[in-house]
Amino acid sequence: MRTLRSRLMKEVCGGASPIGWAQRPSGSGATAAMVRFKNRYVLCEVVSEDPRCRQCIEDRAVGLAVRDAIGRVHGDYGLACCSISFTVKYLNAYTGTVLLRCRKDSYRLLCSALPFVRQLESRNLRYPCFLNTLHVGGTIRTCQKFLIQYNRRQLLMLLQNCTNEEERQCIQKSLLSCSLTEEQSQSGDEEDDDGTETD
Amino acid sequence: MAGFADLNLPQGPDKKSLQSLLEAAAHLGYSAVALNHVIDFKEKKQEIVKPVSPSELFPSLPIVQGTSKRIKVLTRLTLVVSDPSHCNLLRSTSANVRLYDIIAVFPKTEKLFHIACTTLDVDLVCINVTEKLPFYFRRPPVNMAIDRGIYFELLYTPAIKDSTMRRYTISNAISLMQICKGKNIVISSAAERPLELRGPYDVANLGLLFGLSESEAKAAVSTNCRATMLHGETRKSACGVVYTVKKPRKVEEEETTLPACKKAKTQA
Repeated sequence: MRTLRSRLMKEVCGGASPIGWAQRPSGSGATAAMVRFKNRYVLCEVVSEDPRCRQCIEDRAVGLAVRDAIGRVHGDYGLACCSISFTVKYLNAYTGTVLLRCRKDSYRLLCSALPFVRQLESRNLRYPCFLNTLHVGGTIRTCQKFLIQYNRRQLLMLLQNCTNEEERQCIQKSLLSCSLTEEQSQSGDEEDDDGTETD
Repeated sequence: MAGFADLNLPQGPDKKSLQSLLEAAAHLGYSAVALNHVIDFKEKKQEIVKPVSPSELFPSLPIVQGTSKRIKVLTRLTLVVSDPSHCNLLRSTSANVRLYDIIAVFPKTEKLFHIACTTLDVDLVCINVTEKLPFYFRRPPVNMAIDRGIYFELLYTPAIKDSTMRRYTISNAISLMQICKGKNIVISSAAERPLELRGPYDVANLGLLFGLSESEAKAAVSTNCRATMLHGETRKSACGVVYTVKKPRKVEEEETTLPACKKAKTQA
């Protein structure tokens, strides 16, 4: 499970950067006197009715959809402002969690345009969906802590709806083991152990 | 901290779609929703039916995400008025109108807007977002409405669906903001499908687009909604208030006067 997760993240975050969640000052890091660039990390969840939409969640598709929404709402100026340091930092297709990054000066433009995302498009397939903003943080670590709490709550709700004893044991085990680990190679973020979607 | 509420979910005839709407709202974190029944007087005269109690419609209500309580479902009536004679319905003591939890009015002309803000007994005044406003807002009726505790409602689903609607929504909302300074605003969806709903954090960000400050925008989704629900409750329950004060009674009076029932028997 852990290797699958790290492989997923490697594909998404880009091969060059290390897999760890350690925060390092972003920006060019030119001289010692330079103040670092401040970013905002927006944690969202992709909600849709169609279960096939989960396969469509990729970083390029989500990035395009968000950029398109910003362009529609704020025009060329907004699009230009927001795309200075805009990337999709983390993506989890199983739970539909997306972590976006943008500059601190333009995060309001981004956040106010997120409700206008109506569909995801990839490989000529369109799926209607919407983004639900969960948390806005200054670092990846705060978003990760929030995500762990949120996922734990989701697992608790799944536990209530569980019918199979085996699934119940699986969920209980993952509930007890979710935590923020300090190791570089693995992230502390846990995922659903049963791949079925109950909603 | 007041929970988030969405006060406008159009009540269609299909029960299953309503159930999926409720589940989506509970998943997003709304603690209370109101099922909206719209009455339009331009069509043939419609009867105002008694509101269907939510416990009959939905046997089990979903649990709100983040809390352990079930979602609260209220009933709401919206009257679309384009003629002063339509308002008579509200003034009459028709029993069915009183049974709804929240009453809203949607005025189409300036005179009706003035009447709604000053004299009508409603909780919400809906602001048109789908077309250019035929009248400008003026300060006196808006201030009177704020004093009376009436809230102005803005819808956001037309803005998500269509680009021209978005322009009308934003221009109408900003012209309202300039008059009322961001007070007494409620933002709600008119979502017919679960995909048109947005989470409360996103709706507060939409409020920023409409010209509200951050605290006002958050209040528009939480505290103002709760105030509207309380306003509706007081309208339902109290027609007047009786204030009793305990008066100290002298002791001698008690001994001499007998209670009325005893008096009659002794005399007979």
